[in-house]
Amino acid sequence: MVISPVHYIVAPLAAAFLIPLLNKLYDDAARVVPGIVLGYLVVVSAVLVPQVLHNGPITEIIAGWRPPFGINLVMTPFSAILALLVSFMAFVIWLYGFRFRRTLKGGVVMYYEILQMMMTAGALGIILTGDLFNMFVFVEIAGITAISLAAFYRDRDGAEAGFKYMLLGSLASVFLLLGILLLYTQTHSLNMAQIAERMPAVAQGVKIMALIFLLVSLGIEAEMFPLNSWAPDAYSQAPSPTSAAFAAVLGVAAVYALARVSYTLFDAQSVSMFLMVMGFLTMFFAETAAIAQTDLKRMLAYSSMGQMGLVMVALGIGNETALFGALFLIINHAVIKALLFMTGSYFIYNNNSKRLVALNGIHKRLPYVSFLFSLGALAIIGFPPFSGFWSKFYILSGAAKRELLPLIIGILAITIVEMTYYLRVIGRIYFGKEETEPASHKPSINALVAMTSLAVIIVVLGLYPDLISGYLHKASMFLLDKQAYIQNVLSVK
Amino acid sequence: MDIYVALLILFGGALVAFFIDDLNRRWTGPVALAFALAAAVAFALTPEGQHFRLSILGFDLHWQQDAAARFFGWIVLGLTVLALIYSVKYMEGKARLGYFYAAFLMSAGGMLGVSVSRDLISFFVFWEIMTWTSFLLAIYNAYYGVETKGIKYIIFSSIGAYAMLTAIVMAGHYYHTYDIADLWQAGAFSFRNHWYIPAFLMLGFAVKAAVVPFHVWAPDVYAKTPMSFTTVFSGAMSKMGVLGLLMVLTGLYAGGGDGMFWFRWILGWLGGITAVVGTLQAIRQNDAKYLLAYSSVAQLGYIVTALATGTRLGLMAALYLAVLHAAFKGALFMVAGAVEKQAGTTDFREISGLIKRMPWTFFVALVSVISLAGVPPLGGFVGKWLLYESLITETHSYFLVIVIFFSSTAAFLYAYRFLFGLFLGQAEEEIKQVKEASWWMLLPMLVLAAVSIVTGMYPGLIFKPAADVLAGWGLPVPDWHMSILLNNWGNGVDLVTVGSTVGIVFVLVAIYITLKGRKTTKWVSTKDISTSGEIPSPQDNLTFQRGFFKPFERAIGRLYDWDANGIWEDLGAALEAFFGFVRKIYTGNAQTYALYVIVFLVILLIFGAKIFS
Amino acid sequence: MNSFQEVFIRYRELMEIAVYGVAILLILIGLYAVLTKKHLVKVVIGLSIMDAGVNLLFVGVGYITNHTAPIFSPGYEDAADKMVDPVPQALVLTAIVIGFAVTALALSLVIRLYRHHKTANIEQLNSLRW
Repeated sequence: MVISPVHYIVAPLAAAFLIPLLNKLYDDAARVVPGIVLGYLVVVSAVLVPQVLHNGPITEIIAGWRPPFGINLVMTPFSAILALLVSFMAFVIWLYGFRFRRTLKGGVVMYYEILQMMMTAGALGIILTGDLFNMFVFVEIAGITAISLAAFYRDRDGAEAGFKYMLLGSLASVFLLLGILLLYTQTHSLNMAQIAERMPAVAQGVKIMALIFLLVSLGIEAEMFPLNSWAPDAYSQAPSPTSAAFAAVLGVAAVYALARVSYTLFDAQSVSMFLMVMGFLTMFFAETAAIAQTDLKRMLAYSSMGQMGLVMVALGIGNETALFGALFLIINHAVIKALLFMTGSYFIYNNNSKRLVALNGIHKRLPYVSFLFSLGALAIIGFPPFSGFWSKFYILSGAAKRELLPLIIGILAITIVEMTYYLRVIGRIYFGKEETEPASHKPSINALVAMTSLAVIIVVLGLYPDLISGYLHKASMFLLDKQAYIQNVLSVK
Repeated sequence: MDIYVALLILFGGALVAFFIDDLNRRWTGPVALAFALAAAVAFALTPEGQHFRLSILGFDLHWQQDAAARFFGWIVLGLTVLALIYSVKYMEGKARLGYFYAAFLMSAGGMLGVSVSRDLISFFVFWEIMTWTSFLLAIYNAYYGVETKGIKYIIFSSIGAYAMLTAIVMAGHYYHTYDIADLWQAGAFSFRNHWYIPAFLMLGFAVKAAVVPFHVWAPDVYAKTPMSFTTVFSGAMSKMGVLGLLMVLTGLYAGGGDGMFWFRWILGWLGGITAVVGTLQAIRQNDAKYLLAYSSVAQLGYIVTALATGTRLGLMAALYLAVLHAAFKGALFMVAGAVEKQAGTTDFREISGLIKRMPWTFFVALVSVISLAGVPPLGGFVGKWLLYESLITETHSYFLVIVIFFSSTAAFLYAYRFLFGLFLGQAEEEIKQVKEASWWMLLPMLVLAAVSIVTGMYPGLIFKPAADVLAGWGLPVPDWHMSILLNNWGNGVDLVTVGSTVGIVFVLVAIYITLKGRKTTKWVSTKDISTSGEIPSPQDNLTFQRGFFKPFERAIGRLYDWDANGIWEDLGAALEAFFGFVRKIYTGNAQTYALYVIVFLVILLIFGAKIFS
Repeated sequence: MNSFQEVFIRYRELMEIAVYGVAILLILIGLYAVLTKKHLVKVVIGLSIMDAGVNLLFVGVGYITNHTAPIFSPGYEDAADKMVDPVPQALVLTAIVIGFAVTALALSLVIRLYRHHKTANIEQLNSLRW
């Protein structure tokens, strides 16, 4: 069997539908199968990513319909790296949650795994598809599963978070459909390359309207202010591995969609100002809301929104340097925020409380987990020598190249706010007065492996960023080159 | 030996120290010390002028072992080694030793890295490493107040560091290089081209050097950090700010001297005000640690003022004082630590008369305090002399001289308070069990005291490397002699003569007092005393130490009402309140959220043509 | 051309515009329900109406006057240029399915919310905020 991008979507979807059957044959199938599938996807990425980077994009034709007809998958360097990231993070999250979910009773584990697999499939589909309507379908798959996961714990707050997410998610899907419809009426195509090719002929008014609908709907998914109000609730009520997946899988896909729409379908120049301003507002409102949180997961959720805002700012700046930074930041954000949610989840598990106050002096009970959490917190603030520094530095350099001095100062001022609440948590963990001494749940070995591997990535990328910088440069160059995308897709024989 | 070896040893040592603590707590300190010593040896073996280049992400990192690197590197490594010797006993029995020593070594590595970095990127990377590791140490003792005191430090440092980062990325954009020498050549630090590049860099360095109005982080942090690290914190880390300012000054000279006004007058006056503020605050402290912390702020004010002159003698004074401050303030913080360790507190109101219990500690304190006060024949005098001379004869800033003179005169008050409060006076019963500190702690203190004594007679020992630094960066270099101080009128003073004369008299008087003085002593209780006609409140601890300098405080009067700390804290509280208000937009109502989406959409649809043109 | 035919053509022209008008009206009605109705089920109904409106819009866009269904059946083998655009219809089918799934999910969430809160008033859902 030849390895192709289709496997990214087919394998997890097939696994998700087969899990109930397999579970009948073998009790633990629901827990083992996703690992096998995701591990396979990591292998697929390991094969495909170098291929894409060296030989150029792969356009996968489905059912014999060549572009622009039919649905096709396009694996550009940009999407290849994100696909690798998503599948790897999904694998790590699976590994992390492997034993953790023993605490769940009955067949619930099975539902969890099915939903998680479908969410991964949806996210990978968003990243790989070359067809606009197909992207809508994958957005919906990812969205519906994400809503179900947000409401996974059948408690009061979970249902509330799920409902809010559902409400905004439905609005997003309506607007996405309207945007697609507008584009279809003008270009008579759903293939993104062809739409992009025909875009210059489209009347300015319709173009802008379509752009607005797409930006608003994808902005909801990508946590853009003021559309991101679902995020803190959903992140904080979902099971912790899912919160990590929201940041590392769903967020990555949403940002990809935003980037693809703004850079390939439309003119990056015209969206630049909008993305910078909205990204900056997103950062501002998210980080300032985070500083007063009393709940660990909500705090991390707001921080995620802030990071997404920074990614949007970088996409808005739009030169190669900033895009490199954006891509690096997407990777960092996925890895670090997942690490923070994973370690944070152990704090919560031990305290039976999400409250920050409960973290006082917890390092005595969970020394290694506390160490990893602190590492992640320092990295996400952007302290060298961790990987977060380089992404921030590149984004600022990109802003400097466009001489956006106020933006640089603004970003750094907000970083100080971010630093304040993260360091307060570190202070609590190490120096807070311990109040209670509940029984200790030591992390299981698989969770330790997962968390440690993420920490190692943070440190290694921080000390030796050149490990991936070549790939990232190629990917960000390709994202900027709209014509190359169009030609690559439409010239497929 | 390559330049990076010392750095690798320090960072590697941090890792080892962190994990060895789990194996055997007694080994942590000595192991850390061994690594610091090894780093010092490696640093000594690195040949002068060696370059090291490294390319990360297409940035050319450039480290160089030049005169400046050696000068500041040895301040860092010297203090680190001494402080680690001191720590072995000082930190004995405390919790989280692995954390402490790992952060200590990493911080030292960061400072050494800053000293050798000759490009802005590695400079900034090391600067941040140094900052966050020192933050970890600053909160080490703060079981309470993590949320305010330690955070205050990191926030101020980050304001400075991010101002620096802004300048760095802008400089990288305009001049396409991050190499400091190239930026000097290109005139990047000149106010004429892009004024905010040097201005933001200066802001960053000024924060680290605790210049008014950014000094408020310093006292709390210096006083709350374990004393063995405060030594390095105040002695070496603040000097990184001095190094940075020197770097900017070099750039100003290279860029044709525009902006000297800002450097000389604004920074100079800020330094002078810092000196006054630090001194006045130090006088009213009742805790030896806080007294020393404020005194550090004041001393850094002198250094910054000296540096700001930008003249031959001024620069020499700055570098000289940088070393001396590291020596005497390092020693004094160690003294405070020793007293804290042995007597359990450093509060003047609870302690007195330690001279008989801790004579060696007292000796170190005496020497260092004299040096701090700038009295001949000890080292501090030479620095003050150079400072005054540069201000009077070179820049003719007479008002600034008055300010500095006021501050260093007032400094006698707190210098005396420190000696008297801890060591002199009469010992209470509970003091009598106190023993002299361990020799592990005394040794580094004596070494630092020796620096003050020797430089008092042979200041040329520091003049020589300082002159090399200035010459190496193309800054004006004054004439210097091993032990003769010249003034601009051509008169000279032979410091060896002065030093030995005063020394002999001191010894004779000391012998006389020891033989004679004891008989007149009359014992009374030091508690239950009220001074100056004040009416004490019930909770006051009634000792003569209370309101020690009340008359002076009354004389100064309203100056004390200006509380920079309070202003910043109010600002912080106001900001947090504002943030708390802003987040109310997340109301929790699903329909409101949907309304946000619709309103946003409608606004975009209305103004879309303008926004997306 | 008699007047009846004229009226008929006018009517069909009107209907073409009316389809868009009705679709947009449906979307707005749905939006109104979503934004103002306090009952959770009514909000979900509003969402469904919006969905229906969008789907109608899709169908309307693909429709070409006087053309037939896009099915190659006996007698219509070469009538490709006489058919309406098939793509929007295919899309609508997908969108309807997705809308169905979302509605089902939403209703299940509503039921759960009702069990926990003992009310279906949307304003009671504010324990997660700020």
